[in-house]
Amino acid sequence: MADRKLSRLMQAPAVILLLTWMLVPLCITLFFSFIRYVLASSIRPEWTSPSIENWRGFGNYLFVWNNDGFWLAVYNSIFIVTSIIVLTVVLGLAIAILVNRTFPGQGIVRVMLISPFFVMPAVNAVLWINMILDPVLGLQGIAVGGLNEVVATLQDAPLVGWFFSLWPELIPISFRASQTSAIAVILMVTWQWTPFAVLIFMTSLQSEDQQQKEAAILDGAGKWSMFRFLTLPHLARPVSIVVMIQAIFHLSLYAEIEIVSRGNGNKNLPYLIGEMATNNIGAASATGIFAVILANVLAVFLLRMISKSLME
Amino acid sequence: MGSIKLENIAKSFGDTEVIPPLNLSIDEGEFVVFVGPSGCGKSTLLRLIAGLENATAGKVIIDGEDVTNVTPSKRGLAMVFQSYALYPHMTVRKNIAFPLRMSGMEPAEIDKRVEAASTSLNLNDYLERKPGQLSGGQRQRVAIGRAIVRDPSAFLFDEPLSNLDAALRVGMRLEISEMHKQMGTTMIYVTHDQVEAMTMADKIVVLQSGVIEQVGSPLELYKSPCNVFVAGFIGSPKMNLLSGEVAAKYNAHTIGIRPEHLSISDTAGEWEGVVGVSEHLGSDTFVHVHFDGSNEPLTVRAGGDLELEYGTKVFLTPDMKKLHRFDESGRAIR
Repeated sequence: MADRKLSRLMQAPAVILLLTWMLVPLCITLFFSFIRYVLASSIRPEWTSPSIENWRGFGNYLFVWNNDGFWLAVYNSIFIVTSIIVLTVVLGLAIAILVNRTFPGQGIVRVMLISPFFVMPAVNAVLWINMILDPVLGLQGIAVGGLNEVVATLQDAPLVGWFFSLWPELIPISFRASQTSAIAVILMVTWQWTPFAVLIFMTSLQSEDQQQKEAAILDGAGKWSMFRFLTLPHLARPVSIVVMIQAIFHLSLYAEIEIVSRGNGNKNLPYLIGEMATNNIGAASATGIFAVILANVLAVFLLRMISKSLME
Repeated sequence: MGSIKLENIAKSFGDTEVIPPLNLSIDEGEFVVFVGPSGCGKSTLLRLIAGLENATAGKVIIDGEDVTNVTPSKRGLAMVFQSYALYPHMTVRKNIAFPLRMSGMEPAEIDKRVEAASTSLNLNDYLERKPGQLSGGQRQRVAIGRAIVRDPSAFLFDEPLSNLDAALRVGMRLEISEMHKQMGTTMIYVTHDQVEAMTMADKIVVLQSGVIEQVGSPLELYKSPCNVFVAGFIGSPKMNLLSGEVAAKYNAHTIGIRPEHLSISDTAGEWEGVVGVSEHLGSDTFVHVHFDGSNEPLTVRAGGDLELEYGTKVFLTPDMKKLHRFDESGRAIR
């Protein structure tokens, strides 16, 4: 018994440290979310220090709940996260299966495939929005301009000119506009995170039982049946890992949103919290608690969906 | 239905020839065992028949039809793998139904066949379980069930019992033999265990480095092995093989004598030796006798009651009628 007590005692510092690490910020956030607390106010200077006397009850929560920006941010968070997850899983599966075969130069190809994952999120956003998606100077602008030029020269050509004169001039899309900036974010994050999915799926594909596949061949299963009935169920767990980790990471996207449009029409929850925290700490804390709840709901919902659809 | 013929079949992986051109014919309803040490090409041969490997040269003929270029599933063969190769996320019922489902059979008919197969294999209580919840023997049964439902023209077994413990192995061995007698379907069975080969086969094919050493019934191989390899491989305990001066006396390069054909005496005999370890099995005693004419001790099978002290001097006499003689190339002299 003494041994057990001693070992508990030895573990205690680590356990206490971890608990403190997690609980203290959560408790402070909860506390702030129930009081009036702003960083600067000339009218109500007493609100500038966190104190139980400024108790507001669920006032902060109601304030956030009734705020249009909040619902837009919730919707936007879910839209961005689920789009990225769907795209990375589908692309990741396709690429992993493609790269899993043996071909010359596969070592180099695999390293190159992983490399987007090493780019910093802010750098990733700057690269994409300026070099690729920019309607004038980016690849998009150049490609659209080039196409327009080709069509314009073809319009002057004899015989086929009339056909091309029916073509409208293509207009490049601005990805900094409020309707499209979420799509820009989805594109760049998908590019960055597909390698992660590929990596996880590839290792899992390599652990697939070859005799099972041979048995399936003898049982008359075609390529698609083998993928559907053997490979997909085999990948169910790695898929849920990829979904889970990405849900956690992408609910807190910030750098990309900031760089693409400074949050114009494209705020997600973390961005909204950031904006509120410039002054209204109480409301920001309440939004933070909402974000925690949303993350949990989303995770449970996504995992249920995967285990149902893949495990039959 | 179910005769298989291999004509000059050969297989190479790159530059290494695993199976040099080889001929073999398997009659309908036969239980054929491919046996040999590991790496002798017996599994490759089975996979060639199944179609999981492509032959480098030669033909595979099933029921008079050349199937060398026919896809595995169209050859009408069912295979049971060493690792069982069950689909881990499907229930036993779905596992057994899988080949039928793939062939696009009516669900009602599938249910009927699965029901019949699981009844004959005592699997009815486990139909809704997943392979992970079954014991080794039950998994083996499910794998056999998945083969039976297809009603194949021949069964292929690739070392199906080597993952089971010894007691279960004996039981499954009997069950498979029983199944063969009842169904009368051709079966090809690969094993490295000569006991399995002896007990189950109608016909044994002994292989060494891709070459067929001898084909014959178990007793044929036991009584008249055609070369030193077969003589040493078939039979347990192994045949005693002696060469050098001792063999020269019998006008042979090597002589072989089975343990049960050596008589032991403490007064007089052909060879003089010293008793080493005795293994008492109750019914028999295997006595290992150290003898100057042989590097390895000779094994003698004696009655269960014989008790000999370690280090006792004894005399051994071989039964001349049962002595096997081999020439320099290892072939039997008859």
